[in-house]
Amino acid sequence: MFERNKKDDEGNESQSAGRPDSDKNFGSFRSKASGRSGDSAVIGRSIQIDGDLRGDEDLRIEGDVSGNVELKNNALTIGKEGKVKADVYAKSIAVDGETMGDLYATERVTVHVNARVQGNIISPKVSIEEGARFKGSIEMDPAAVEKVLGTTTTSGADKRNAGNKSSATDTSKVAPKRPVKDSSANLNPPSGTS
Amino acid sequence: MDETRRHVVLDLGGASTAMLALLGRSGCCVEILDLPNFGSIDQLNMAEPGPALAETAAALLPNRLTGDAIDLVLCWDLPNYLTLNALSALMTSVGRRARPGAVAHALIYYSERDMPEHPAHFVPAADGELVDRSAPGAVIAAPRYSTEELGNGMGRFVLDRARLLGNGMQEFLFQLGS
Repeated sequence: MFERNKKDDEGNESQSAGRPDSDKNFGSFRSKASGRSGDSAVIGRSIQIDGDLRGDEDLRIEGDVSGNVELKNNALTIGKEGKVKADVYAKSIAVDGETMGDLYATERVTVHVNARVQGNIISPKVSIEEGARFKGSIEMDPAAVEKVLGTTTTSGADKRNAGNKSSATDTSKVAPKRPVKDSSANLNPPSGTS
Repeated sequence: MDETRRHVVLDLGGASTAMLALLGRSGCCVEILDLPNFGSIDQLNMAEPGPALAETAAALLPNRLTGDAIDLVLCWDLPNYLTLNALSALMTSVGRRARPGAVAHALIYYSERDMPEHPAHFVPAADGELVDRSAPGAVIAAPRYSTEELGNGMGRFVLDRARLLGNGMQEFLFQLGS
């Protein structure tokens, strides 16, 4: 989906290694804006995207993105420099930067320590590291997740593409429904209390 | 809480991995406001009492995911950091989205005149106790709300029970009237 560069962020050779030198240089230059990091495509920090983003490969965002982001079968990483103002649909989402919008993941959402997230998270597995800033709702119950994902996948960008390949099939891959068990919060008073 | 159905928990404090794990295991939907870290305490305290404050309070609540009503509100020690007007506006908004019989839990600094400058960050430990993970710092005067004052600041939530804790705090449970 995105241009490939000569080296990834760690300096490892990537798929442009066999190109002529001039091409390698061009790829190296492009790596500052957009390219690849490891196995992910990268939107570099100088890039601003205003509009919908779709793809079938893993993606790392270090730039600014506004609009819907859809990587239904892939992983999305929002890097430390990344700022995403969008509803995001992906297989897994990891946030190190800032997001404003709902995050939908069929597998997992991870909010890392320096992240700032405003919006709802809908995913069967969610982890928020201590120190991360999060404001919104979290839905992890598989049955509820499936219910929400089942409706939202047709209300996002797919809705505008009605008649094209339906994403409803993707939601069938969400973790199987399980009965809700033990709903007691069982909160005890702070330690050191009477 | 009724263990035969899932619950919606509104946490006025910040997110924690341990709390999320605890509530997630129980199949709860968790709504997190994180009042301390998004400037919301100042927003509420500085809003003009009346419609502007009510609007500010309503805007703080997350968009509903499923339309399920709130069953449990975790206020922690945050009421100490809100004026009674601000608290009242917030809890009135919360009450509109809560189920009759919903419970609100709050901790008030009571025996000491001072309290930490910043709200605590309570996290459930492995033994089920709650541990304050906030860094120690300066102290400020505690409002030391009386039971009656606090009761007036909780919107439609009415006092169910209160008890003094060994750490100088008073623990309150409120219940939303029908």
